[in-house]
Amino acid sequence: MLEIKDLKAEIEGKKILNGINLVVKPGEVHAIMGPNGAGKSTLSAVLAGRADYEVTGGSALFNGKDLLEMAPEDRAREGVFLAFQYPVEIPGVSTTNFLKTAVNEKRKYQGLEPMEATDFLKMMREKMEVVEMDKSLTSRSLNEGFSGGEKKRNEVFQMAMLEPKLSILDETDSGLDIDALRLVSNGVNKLRNGENSFVVITHYQRLLDYIVPDFVHVLYKGRIVKSGDASLAKELEAKGYDWIKAEVEANA
Amino acid sequence: MSLTERIKSDFTDYKNHAKQDSFFALRENAFAEFEKLGFPTTKNEEWKYTNLKSITEKTFQADCVVNSRIRDFVSQSLFSRIEANMLVFVNGSFAADLSVVKEKDPSIIIGSLAVERHKHETLFNAHFGKYAKVEGQAMNALNTALLSDGAFVYVEANKKAELPVVILNISDATDVNVLAQPRNLIVVEKSASVTLVEAYYSIGSNASFTNVVTETFVGEQAHVEHYKIQQQAGESYQNNFTQVFQEANTSINHVTLTLDGTLVRNNLHFYMNGENCNSLLYGLYVTDSKDFVDNHTRVDHAKPNCFSDEKYKGILKDQSTAVFNGKIMVHLDAQKTNAYQRNQNILLSDEATVNTKPQLEIFADDVKCTHGATIGQLDEEPMFYLRSRGIPEDVARKMLLNAFADDIAEKIKIPELVTLLEEEIDRKL
Repeated sequence: MLEIKDLKAEIEGKKILNGINLVVKPGEVHAIMGPNGAGKSTLSAVLAGRADYEVTGGSALFNGKDLLEMAPEDRAREGVFLAFQYPVEIPGVSTTNFLKTAVNEKRKYQGLEPMEATDFLKMMREKMEVVEMDKSLTSRSLNEGFSGGEKKRNEVFQMAMLEPKLSILDETDSGLDIDALRLVSNGVNKLRNGENSFVVITHYQRLLDYIVPDFVHVLYKGRIVKSGDASLAKELEAKGYDWIKAEVEANA
Repeated sequence: MSLTERIKSDFTDYKNHAKQDSFFALRENAFAEFEKLGFPTTKNEEWKYTNLKSITEKTFQADCVVNSRIRDFVSQSLFSRIEANMLVFVNGSFAADLSVVKEKDPSIIIGSLAVERHKHETLFNAHFGKYAKVEGQAMNALNTALLSDGAFVYVEANKKAELPVVILNISDATDVNVLAQPRNLIVVEKSASVTLVEAYYSIGSNASFTNVVTETFVGEQAHVEHYKIQQQAGESYQNNFTQVFQEANTSINHVTLTLDGTLVRNNLHFYMNGENCNSLLYGLYVTDSKDFVDNHTRVDHAKPNCFSDEKYKGILKDQSTAVFNGKIMVHLDAQKTNAYQRNQNILLSDEATVNTKPQLEIFADDVKCTHGATIGQLDEEPMFYLRSRGIPEDVARKMLLNAFADDIAEKIKIPELVTLLEEEIDRKL
């Protein structure tokens, strides 16, 4: 599904990604962990198409198509979804109208007719139930005045509505208390269907107690320096990142 | 004949036929004031950015023929779909057969100023020219001297005009350059209320110049909703002066939408003559090509315990220019004044310009006044967020600009006008 080869990127001349290699197959959950400044958020930003970053080398193919050449909206319509670490508040844009536009733009891209209003509302109701999203939130402006937990749940709700093939969760756990974390994780787990894939980016292991990954990768200084299964996350939780850093320095 | 010569000859014509009454005296005085002042130039601080040369160097006529063009325009306009009392003016003259007054209550007057002033002379003389001063105000003086016609709206104490009053001004510049000088007088007595929609349109490929003055008297505890729609196509110039005079415990919601026009200069002045007044001044301008919009506002807090909230927003495209100058005068007596002012602009082009200036003059010591101005581009972060959900850039931009306009649009309580605004934003962007 996603094939990243030797991906290099920088921002304002500062090298952040120094050759990332990663293959994500359908149905897999990959966790990307790492200390602050390792390049975790840069990786998600580059994959989603944020303009501030310059890709200086390597490739990223999504179902065989060159992801890096696509506009952000086309990546989304191809089935890539980024759950933001800090979802932006957009006063004056209603959540419902926003989602209707997004869903119908995707359908247009796929050559489908726009959804009937009643079908759309039905879909909204169903998906809200799946992710346990409070109905009142959809009548408000997008993320405006939402609490941290509500914003993250809204990200998962959007994910449910747009049915992406690949979801990238950028530090979704940041700023969440344990109850909110559980709610958000439950939502994500319910959306797993064996076909769709997830890249879960996190600093802490605790999110991975709820969303159990098939693979764990450690990102450090813009490279994946270690990969393993879910037990690697436990090991990092117990020992911190210093031993990884030491290992990398020793091999350098 | 230059515009100034034309004005002189028009006034001489008027003078030769006028009845020598108090109305005439007022106009003669106004004309003398205009002759003294002449058209404002950019040397005048209040007109620093607004150059009237393209108007003063032209010749204008003031003919009015209601033809099928006008009929079609009115019947197809959005205003004919609003359930309202409608007064139509063509090149400043009243078009009686296109106007519809549905109000049945005889204590509410809705009609042509030229006609109604004779029927209600005492009332007219008590208010006309009392609020919009001509001293030092060349354009007001010009209007007062040579006004053509306009709306006369009177609501007796404790009455409510159930339907809005639409004052639809159309400049027909199909054959020649046209000049219109409408003059509106609105008197809302104690505890009465009314909704006004003042609209400006133009047709034809010649130039039009509209110089309008509106005086609004708001009696104690009265309420006025006032929506101003400026959407003059082609080469059109407009100078719009509105003076609102508020007695105690009154509330006013005033929204100005400037959607088209070559040059639009608005002066919106509020004078609070009693305590506990509530004045809301909102505006939105959406400009393109080389259009120029200038909003000068002035709020006189003359008495204590009054509240004013002012928010003007602009979306500028191409080489268009906007000016905002918001003056808040807090007089010595006006303790416990609360006055807020914001001007926010989004520039969609490198060649668009905004000049914004808050002007707070505070003589009382126990007041709360804030002001702020922003000029910038559409934020990148919301844009990326929308695009990352599959919404293409152009659709996302429209969504965000509509959202930007939304907090002005929501001040308008007539849904058809909100639709008009949304369509215009869609069309332009």
